[in-house]
Amino acid sequence: MERRQYLLKKIGWSLFTILFVLVLNFFLFRILPGDPARAGVKDPRLKKEAIEAIQVRFGLDKPIINCFESLNPVKLGNCAINPLETQFFIYVGNLLRGELGISYHTNRPVAAILAERLWNTILLIGAGQILSIVVGVIFGIFAAWKARTVIDYGALLTSLLAWSLPTFWLGIILLFWGSAHGLPIGGKATPGMSSMPWTDQWADVFKHMLLPTLTYTIVYMGEYTLIMRSSLLDVLAEDYILTAKAKGLNTFQILKDHALKNAMLPLVTVIAINLGFTVAGALQIEAVFSWPGLGGAIYESVVRRDYPVLQGAFLLIAVAVILANLIADLTYSYLDPRVQSE
Amino acid sequence: MSAITESSKSKTQSTSPLLTFWRTFRRNPMALVGLIMLVIILLLAVFARQLAPYDVTSSANVSTADIYNPPGGAHLLGTDDAGKDVLSNFFFGARVSLIVGFFAAFISVFIGGVIGIVAGFYGGRVENILMRFTDIMLVIPDLPLMVVIVALTKPSLINIIFVIGLLGWTTTARIVRSQTLAVKSRKFVLRARAIGAGNFHIILHHILPLVMPLLVVNAILVISLAILNESALSFIGLGDPTALSWGQMLNFAFGRGAMSAGAWWALMVPGLGIVWVVLALTLLGHGLEQVLNPRLEFHHLEPGLPVVQDEARQAVARAEDGRPILLEVQNLSVNYVTAAKPPARAVENVSFQLREGELMGLVGESGCGKTTLMLALLRLLPPAGQIVGGKVWFMGQDLTAMDETELQNVRWNGISIVFQGAMNAFNPVRTVGEQIFEAIQKHTPILPGDKIEDRVSELLELVGISAEHKAHFPHQYSGGMRQRAMIAMALACNPSVVIADEPTTALDVMIQAQILELLDSLRKKLGLSIIFVTHDLGVVAEMCDSVLVMYGGVTAEYASVDTVYNAPRHPYTQELLKAFPDLSKLDKRLASIPGYPPRFDQLPPGCRFAPRCPQAVARCHEEQPALHRLEGKHVASCHLLET
Amino acid sequence: MTTPGYFLEVRDLKKYFQAGRPGWFSKSTRLVHAVDNVSLQLQRGEVIALVGESGCGKSTLALTLMGLEKPTEGTILFEGEDVTFADEKKLKALRQRIQMVFQDPYESLNPTQTIEEIVGEPLVVHDLGLGPAERRERVRRALEDAGLKPAEIYMHRFPHELSGGQRQRVVIAGALVLEPHLLLADEPVSMLDVSIRAEILNLLADLRKTRQISIIFITHDLGTVGYFADRIAVMYLGRIVETGKMREVLEDPQHPYTKALLSVIPVPNPRLRRERVILQGETPNPIDLPSGCRFHPRCPLAVERCKQEDPPYVRLSATHQTACWLVKEA
Repeated sequence: MERRQYLLKKIGWSLFTILFVLVLNFFLFRILPGDPARAGVKDPRLKKEAIEAIQVRFGLDKPIINCFESLNPVKLGNCAINPLETQFFIYVGNLLRGELGISYHTNRPVAAILAERLWNTILLIGAGQILSIVVGVIFGIFAAWKARTVIDYGALLTSLLAWSLPTFWLGIILLFWGSAHGLPIGGKATPGMSSMPWTDQWADVFKHMLLPTLTYTIVYMGEYTLIMRSSLLDVLAEDYILTAKAKGLNTFQILKDHALKNAMLPLVTVIAINLGFTVAGALQIEAVFSWPGLGGAIYESVVRRDYPVLQGAFLLIAVAVILANLIADLTYSYLDPRVQSE
Repeated sequence: MSAITESSKSKTQSTSPLLTFWRTFRRNPMALVGLIMLVIILLLAVFARQLAPYDVTSSANVSTADIYNPPGGAHLLGTDDAGKDVLSNFFFGARVSLIVGFFAAFISVFIGGVIGIVAGFYGGRVENILMRFTDIMLVIPDLPLMVVIVALTKPSLINIIFVIGLLGWTTTARIVRSQTLAVKSRKFVLRARAIGAGNFHIILHHILPLVMPLLVVNAILVISLAILNESALSFIGLGDPTALSWGQMLNFAFGRGAMSAGAWWALMVPGLGIVWVVLALTLLGHGLEQVLNPRLEFHHLEPGLPVVQDEARQAVARAEDGRPILLEVQNLSVNYVTAAKPPARAVENVSFQLREGELMGLVGESGCGKTTLMLALLRLLPPAGQIVGGKVWFMGQDLTAMDETELQNVRWNGISIVFQGAMNAFNPVRTVGEQIFEAIQKHTPILPGDKIEDRVSELLELVGISAEHKAHFPHQYSGGMRQRAMIAMALACNPSVVIADEPTTALDVMIQAQILELLDSLRKKLGLSIIFVTHDLGVVAEMCDSVLVMYGGVTAEYASVDTVYNAPRHPYTQELLKAFPDLSKLDKRLASIPGYPPRFDQLPPGCRFAPRCPQAVARCHEEQPALHRLEGKHVASCHLLET
Repeated sequence: MTTPGYFLEVRDLKKYFQAGRPGWFSKSTRLVHAVDNVSLQLQRGEVIALVGESGCGKSTLALTLMGLEKPTEGTILFEGEDVTFADEKKLKALRQRIQMVFQDPYESLNPTQTIEEIVGEPLVVHDLGLGPAERRERVRRALEDAGLKPAEIYMHRFPHELSGGQRQRVVIAGALVLEPHLLLADEPVSMLDVSIRAEILNLLADLRKTRQISIIFITHDLGTVGYFADRIAVMYLGRIVETGKMREVLEDPQHPYTKALLSVIPVPNPRLRRERVILQGETPNPIDLPSGCRFHPRCPLAVERCKQEDPPYVRLSATHQTACWLVKEA
């Protein structure tokens, strides 16, 4: 297959998946019993003007989609309504304008709230992913290279244990430990730091990030170690490794030039598949450490029944994961020459 | 017709399910530990009512003094935020967590299994639609979606089970589909179709039994994920308020001041419960996967066993005809050493001499030790292989006494190998040119890069591949071209000896002939000495100067090609020649050698060929024959040659 | 028009595949000409060898004859009955009479079934109304006919407990248990060691004599066909290029491709080393067939006409014919 065609196909499917998520998101929130827009109108915290604003914004007086209600014979008459005036199109239209609604809790636009938080999540996941991949890959290489030695068994058991830890619980334990050792117990920065020089601000953020990132790294490192180990064990048993050895290459050259790239390929796939799971980890970590990210937003919106924020955060997370997945797919096609000619 | 009397040892291998179960776990301590851990927690959950010291359902008799009491005294593991006994809560919490885990996993595995098998088996549009849907569901982050759904519905146990179950099937579907595809492509499914079996019969009798083990391992993983997801949902505050799971316990403790109260027990106990169960499942799953999918016992970078040094002997420098001897193997023996079994004697007491420009054929059936012998020459044996005797002399140097660095200089530079099945002998993610380049660079590092590039092109042209193909990857080559490229790579450093290990097996007859012709012309052009390893007697007759016939790890016969074909003395050589189809004798019925070659771990006490030998006498079954020197350099190992 | 007397008759059989997987939006129009206009007749109790290199279409032809692939065009008459486009029901009935032996005895047995289950499976699938005892007896007899004696010691074993040669015998027993009239043997010995090959070939030759089974023996090795084939058909790129009695083809080959194939068979005698005709290049892919005679790009003797026109069959004797412009009618 042509490379261009491959790229287009992957991008096309990602767009389709995003569309699917948009539709899913809409229906989840309109059809499940919790119906936020309707429930939201009844929220006692809202002022009257706000209720009216919500009704207009979401078109709550309009049918959900064209003819949807017509399944009910009594409302058959509504069928002929202009599709652009249905709730679904109003929803899509709002999305395209970047409008995700107003938070019940803070009365601020959801989009603005999430925009601040997106970067914090990316910072946490980015740092955690990089660290866990690096540590996992290194552990995995040593475990496979020194197969069936104490190093191997140690790495294997450590990874299995790390994999088995519930993320939020590990976070709690580290928080418990950290707070006893003078580390900040939550948030991203100490209040009042904004007047300090930027170096101090950064050091402060770094201190706050330490425990969340450590939690993240421990939880995901296990899986990456296991995959790297088994994938490298497979590669090292391949015939081309024997060829390399017969060519007179030494152990270091064989690992560097023949084993690692091949062994990394399954890891890239797993990283891509795992992106959905990593968000789950971020959600729990942000909840424990009050990290002001998207996961934290989900946690808080659940606690406060703040549905517009929940809806917006879910949508944003889903789209981000889909895009990250696309990038991983494209990276893979670049690494493995066999993909394009499949 | 032949009498088949192969290893009657395994005659009555009982395969009752219970025994299979026991064997599986005995072989894998990891799985056994996991199983025991799981059984313990299951028992605790089942007998929670009997084991729990307090009735945690009643909220009577709780005062503020009972809140967050440390472990000890009346409460073995302390009390929680509501003054309840943590230990009792722990037992009942196990019930909730396990119920959610098992039921949700059952739903997931069922859906995933059905989708995977249907997609994999029927293929086409059905597969396309199902797998696209699976891919979409896989990308959507599941925990946030679960949170959204549970938040919008009632957080009851049933709802939680269904939400986790209905969203957790994607990995199962993918794994089952790929396994179904793999099983479906196997020949026994085609055979089942050929006997007239319908789809349902095939799925039930041929697909499912082979997908099942994988499904079980996957189910174990899915259970542990479900338990983790349930605890995360509960922790976020979306647990069933009426059923106190471990996650719920943590939620209450974390949310209601256990941290500030220093009540570590309220946080540790339920958390360790989750870790215990998930670790048990992980160990079990990982252990079972190893049983299911046993990896090769070794890899190529593990340190090998030390060579057992023989007393020094002198190498012969020149053959009787005055040509220099490049490679001399003296009484080489190789064992495969395993901890459990006695060592397998894969090569025993093999000697030969390779002169300059000579083409020697090494013939034998599969598993007769030919490849082991060749790998032993360059000390490339797998880690369990050990040279237990003999010497290998290459141009006056003793290869068995060299250290790894010295060996690296001899490899490819002095002796190179054309491997069997060149598909796997090339690294699939690097271009063919790069891989040849690398060999030259390793051994002549002073050569500038563009000179090496020129040499790579020259080598490819030499074997009949145009130089522009050097930028291509191995999978872009056809089988014949890959084998040619492999030969080009073997010639990269101008070696004096080339070992060709079954270079034409699995190639078409015409391509096979092309490769043989190429090797023969290169030998003449470059004055190479070649050891040609093959199971094909015809090929050897066509091109070799001398032949070493191996049987069961020992030399059966070693002589010039003319002697071996026209005056063979060993019964094995004689029988093998009779079994070879000969177009000039079309009317004759093919002779066959009844029986099968011996296994190295079950070698007969006497001559290794005796069980199949038509001329065997009593002595052949008792005593190993020595190598007898016949006229000239002709040797054969047979008792019948003694007189 | 049915020619009476033929046990199996194949007329102008074609099997084309679509090249590549058709996508959702694109339809592939390129065709793989796996089997292209093949005609073939077989008498009861006759053994015909289909010889050719990989990609010549011999395996596809066998699968099409088995009804495992639907033919694109042509006619297949089996025991006087047109089975070309048979429906599932008819095919199932047909499979009691045609059975197949596969190349790889390591792959063609389900590792989770015992030998008794494997060999008895056709009896279960076709539900011949046999009781368990009767079924067991049929399995026992098939195993012993395939040379696994006494059958009892094999019945409860699993495939991995047997050697390659024994497994191939189990495959053959599984094909014999329905007492078929026609056996398709697809490279039955190419995965086996030389010393075992002769046993399996001899077994097939015996079965043909004792049971009057017709056999289509598919192989890439002209060397092994001489021992029991009555007739040989040589295939190249989906077509039969030469067919005739075994001796006619082996002793007096006419088509340049047959000649080349014969010349590269190694002779196990170093005193008889001789000049070989080694064709250059590789078999072209069956998507873009060469013009004219499909063999001309590799043919050492090709003339101008070969590049333009596809040669018709030339009759050399009542039984021997070949498709080549350079061969003159007898």
